[in-house]
Amino acid sequence: MTKAPHIAARPLPRRSFLRGAGVTLALPMLECMSPLFAQPAAAPRRMLIVANNLGVLPKLFFPQAAGRDYELSPYLTALSEFRTDFTVFSGLSHPGVTGGHSADNCLLTAARGAFKSGFRNSISFDQFAAEKLGQVTRFPTLNLGINIDKGNRSLSWTRDGVLLPAEDSAPKLYERMFVQGGKEEVAEQIHRLQGRGSILDVLMDETRRFSRQLGADDKARLDQYVTSVREVEERLQTARAWELKPKPVATQPPPADIQDKKLFFEKFDLMLSMAQLALESDSTRIVTLMADAFVTPVFKLNEKENSTETYHGLTHHGQAHEKIRQLQEVDQRQMTLLNKTLAGLASRKENGERLLDRTMVLYGSSMGDANIHDNTNLPILLAGGGFKHGQHIVFKRDNNAPLCNLYVSMMQRMGIDAAAFASSSGRISDLEMT
Amino acid sequence: MRTLIISVSLLVPAFAQMPSGLKNSIDQACLACHSGKAPRGGLDFTSLSFDLGDRATRERWIHIHDRVEKREMPPKGVVLAPADRSALLGQLAPLLRQADLADVAKNGRGPMRRLNRDEYEQNLRDILQLSHLDIRDMLPEDREAHHFNKASESLDMSRVQLTAYLDASEAALRQAMVTTPAPPAVTRFRTFGRNLFPALRSTGTLHSMFFIKDNKGVNVADERSTPLPKELEEDPALEMGLFRSPGWPYGAFPRGFAAKYAGDYRVRFSARAVLQHPGFVVSDAKQAVPMTFRSRRPTNHDIAEDVKSVGGILEIQPGAKVYETTVALLAGQTVEYGLLGLPVPQVDAEGKSGSYRFPPFPPGGQPGVAFNWIEIEGPIPPSAWPPPSHHVLFDDLGVSPNPAQPKQEASRLLRRFMQLAAVGPVPEKAGRMFEQLVFARLDRKEPFADAMLAGYQAFLCSDLFLYMREPTDNFTIADRLSHFLTNSRPDPKLLNSQLRDPATLHRETDRLIDSPGFDRFVKNFTGYWLNLRQLRKDDPDKRLYPEYQLDEYLVDSLERQTLAFFTAMVRDNLPVRNLVDADFIYLNERLARHYQLDPVLGSAIRKVALPEGSPLGGLLTQGAILKITANGTSTSPVLRGAWIMDRILGDPPPPPPPGVPAVEPDIRGARTIRDLLAMHTKSSTCASCHAKFDPVGLALENFDVMGHWRTHYRGTAEGERVSGIDHTGHDFSYTVAGAVDASGTLVDGRRFRDIRDLKAMFASDSRQLARNLLHQFTVYATGTPVRFSDRVEVEKMLDACAADGYRTRDLMQALVHSKVFLGELK
Repeated sequence: MTKAPHIAARPLPRRSFLRGAGVTLALPMLECMSPLFAQPAAAPRRMLIVANNLGVLPKLFFPQAAGRDYELSPYLTALSEFRTDFTVFSGLSHPGVTGGHSADNCLLTAARGAFKSGFRNSISFDQFAAEKLGQVTRFPTLNLGINIDKGNRSLSWTRDGVLLPAEDSAPKLYERMFVQGGKEEVAEQIHRLQGRGSILDVLMDETRRFSRQLGADDKARLDQYVTSVREVEERLQTARAWELKPKPVATQPPPADIQDKKLFFEKFDLMLSMAQLALESDSTRIVTLMADAFVTPVFKLNEKENSTETYHGLTHHGQAHEKIRQLQEVDQRQMTLLNKTLAGLASRKENGERLLDRTMVLYGSSMGDANIHDNTNLPILLAGGGFKHGQHIVFKRDNNAPLCNLYVSMMQRMGIDAAAFASSSGRISDLEMT
Repeated sequence: MRTLIISVSLLVPAFAQMPSGLKNSIDQACLACHSGKAPRGGLDFTSLSFDLGDRATRERWIHIHDRVEKREMPPKGVVLAPADRSALLGQLAPLLRQADLADVAKNGRGPMRRLNRDEYEQNLRDILQLSHLDIRDMLPEDREAHHFNKASESLDMSRVQLTAYLDASEAALRQAMVTTPAPPAVTRFRTFGRNLFPALRSTGTLHSMFFIKDNKGVNVADERSTPLPKELEEDPALEMGLFRSPGWPYGAFPRGFAAKYAGDYRVRFSARAVLQHPGFVVSDAKQAVPMTFRSRRPTNHDIAEDVKSVGGILEIQPGAKVYETTVALLAGQTVEYGLLGLPVPQVDAEGKSGSYRFPPFPPGGQPGVAFNWIEIEGPIPPSAWPPPSHHVLFDDLGVSPNPAQPKQEASRLLRRFMQLAAVGPVPEKAGRMFEQLVFARLDRKEPFADAMLAGYQAFLCSDLFLYMREPTDNFTIADRLSHFLTNSRPDPKLLNSQLRDPATLHRETDRLIDSPGFDRFVKNFTGYWLNLRQLRKDDPDKRLYPEYQLDEYLVDSLERQTLAFFTAMVRDNLPVRNLVDADFIYLNERLARHYQLDPVLGSAIRKVALPEGSPLGGLLTQGAILKITANGTSTSPVLRGAWIMDRILGDPPPPPPPGVPAVEPDIRGARTIRDLLAMHTKSSTCASCHAKFDPVGLALENFDVMGHWRTHYRGTAEGERVSGIDHTGHDFSYTVAGAVDASGTLVDGRRFRDIRDLKAMFASDSRQLARNLLHQFTVYATGTPVRFSDRVEVEKMLDACAADGYRTRDLMQALVHSKVFLGELK
């Protein structure tokens, strides 16, 4: 090899710290982070929601038979090690949610009509759950992305239907979670937050004065502003308290970033590791991760080849053999990554229980079949989190059950007292808690 | 009319309340399909409300109106006599217009809108007089609607957004304030000899970089970095010869320099353009080699967000000369040499691991630049201390202001700042609220400067500052006009102009168009309208298009071409037909080669007349547009056609109607692009839309992914094989496959042989091109797309511009003078 004299022999030690079994924290996991606020003694429950907005090839994903004795589908064999740790669903979707790619933003909201002008989204499941949960961790939720078009796509939406942008930089996330400022920095930050309180008071007063003169449309815009001021204010109190609390300590150096959109899987792997890190360190109880396949350009398919076209282009395969071959590899690599995440969570223990058993891992997509822009029969898989898994739960293909029913089941498992969410008609009764 | 609308109550089916004439028309033309148990497209006229005061219902009826007007409905096979069609539309349109006008009268034409992050940054740059302020990336990316980041409906507010404004305004104010009694000390750095480069070798073989003495390479025996002899290291005659363009891993900057402080730095250096010949022998070049500097940290690793092109493009001539430029650096940064358009040797992933190869020299030798010495001096001190930005905050109270009568001064400074930052007077009551905030801090014995900054910050995050409203007076017109044409706040001259006077408005509009700030309009408008901001999103497939690999100079030139073209459209007031058809082109030496035109010298973009019969000229054949519409890898007539219909002709393909069962496309067996498109015509569901745009894209098949003219497709299997080594040093091999056929038939039956014919057809409908441009300008300028009731106004604007062939600046002027832009001013 021609060694470039002033260049390190190898590229950046990308992700090397995250490879393998996962990250060890300097302090015993979770013990060091007794929650700031009094909360029920019950073991904490967590969730990780992973979505790819172009879905998977349905034929290779869904198993044939229903029930507990089903045969794993080609894709699910990648998860065979965890067969009894996950449940796969067919026949779930959001009733009335159509519009192909425009429904990307509705996976966790179930809002209809995203393809129409003037569409407004509604609160997403993760934000809804976080509201109910209260701020028991440093971050109520973490909303992550891969190759994501941050301005236009997200899994997380506020009560006003406003997009919450995803974090797509691993180093920035790491810094927020682990990098502890010095004493002076903390003091300064507290001072800033205190100052902010009085600024927000003025903003609120000024808005009240202003709103008196407005018409209905302007008022609606201003209401968003008022809500925002109030929400920032509400969070200040807890933000201050968290600022005083030391951050968990990680022994590893911060991760190198991956910005090249071609490295889709590398980034996917990195962000899943970051998600795991966030859950392990109890930085948050709820993580969402959106892989924005839609905007992913021609990408590295494996060590030897690049995809022949964009991810989106591939999914409109029109049954062309070569495109299906590539897609299959794409899908399988994601299943392998999912398997790695499950393994990572299973290898960690919290009070003698596997972290996987306390973490619901939901994998899904707003696209049932991207080739034809079908938003029904969504590929949905739930692993871990304390359910009696090992089933293929089947609903009607031509008359899907509401996906929100699963969200209700998940919330109840988290200990949230919620009987309904968005278009739910109940919970999924076949999915029993352990 | 008004009474009619009010009398119609909610949830009353259309047929009960509709004027009888309209009812009869719909009965005749539509009811057969759109009623009964399974109405087509889910539209049932017998149950559809006619409460046009309700927005959603009105939208629905506008949609119905438009489909009938565009003759998409009734569908083929159902006859609707022209007289009946106009009767139907003639009855429906006034009702829709009336209802829409009533809504405008009640609620305004559009809601107030939040500043987007580009505007926020530019506003703060202008207010604080910090031209390099960089806070845009602290704010979340804004959502896009109607193609732009300027639509009220998508510029939302959330706790995340507000927190970002708080952070960004605080950062900006801190940058504006100085705390030291004197400007940062100026450092003067000079180096030469071996220190012109951080190491003795660059990445990508010795041919990429070597030291030169008397036109011969020194220390070129092998690839290892043996130290230079001591006497050579500091030999003032030694030159550093660079023969490659940047591409990771790179890291080519002088040794031993990093900016201590952020600021502007003057860079002077001596260099000459050279040619490298086999055996590391160099000679003076025949023509200039363009270069730029890149600001970056002096480390090995390329951190993308960290590297920016600075100081503009310099043309390095043959024969040693001294060059000078000014670059903006952050603390810790240095300047990296960035030669344009040269090889970029990369590790060959397919070959042996980690080996670099320098591509074969072009005939005559490999161009490059030999540097002899470099000086970096800075930060260039501001004209005064404290700098102007500090004066904005603290007038002449100096550094660490501590006035004897703090409240009195605070009150004065705050009002002074608000007057500067607000567009129009701030209500006294609001002013007092911000004042109280500052006073409370002063009472708590906070430092005077901190207390002031809190007041300023609150104002910069308040609704007064963050939102723009529909025009009601001179100030709000000025605000809208300057955000339209310069993406920022009005300057004092504009604020003091009587914009309700048409002549003044005309003059001020012209002034803004001719101002430097107009570059921001061009960049932002084309960035969204034409998607130019996504020019670098995809890279061409390296197997099929080896010649484009890592050719950032080409991509950069293509971008500048389109920007220069659109700037000229407006500034030179060119007729809108030039958007699609022009007898001139903007190019530089790189683009002249790319477009196979007569060579020109230099990297600067200039206007050149096209030869008779050239397919080039206009937007459609510009490489940037062809790259954006090609997904990078391969060209698709479908995407290109849909894009042109949407962006240029203003006739976007509708989304598939809900309720239509999804048809799974089956493209097995389609071998050529024409086969594929033929399949679109098989199913009537596909054909109804694809027939509109597939052919349009076909006409562009003569242009590859970068807009280079082609007569044949490239492939990997069939056809004559072409092999070689590309300028990243990689082997390539593709085949010349089937011939391109760019002929086709438009949906209205007009046939074209190639792009020349199609361009002429589009150009002949200038009014539609102009109408579309006005629609784009309208949403961009006002935050609200053209409403139903605006359509009449748009036609009036078009009428006014028709005689002169719908010239672009005229169209802008017409919009600015219209009710749509100015609101209902008395």
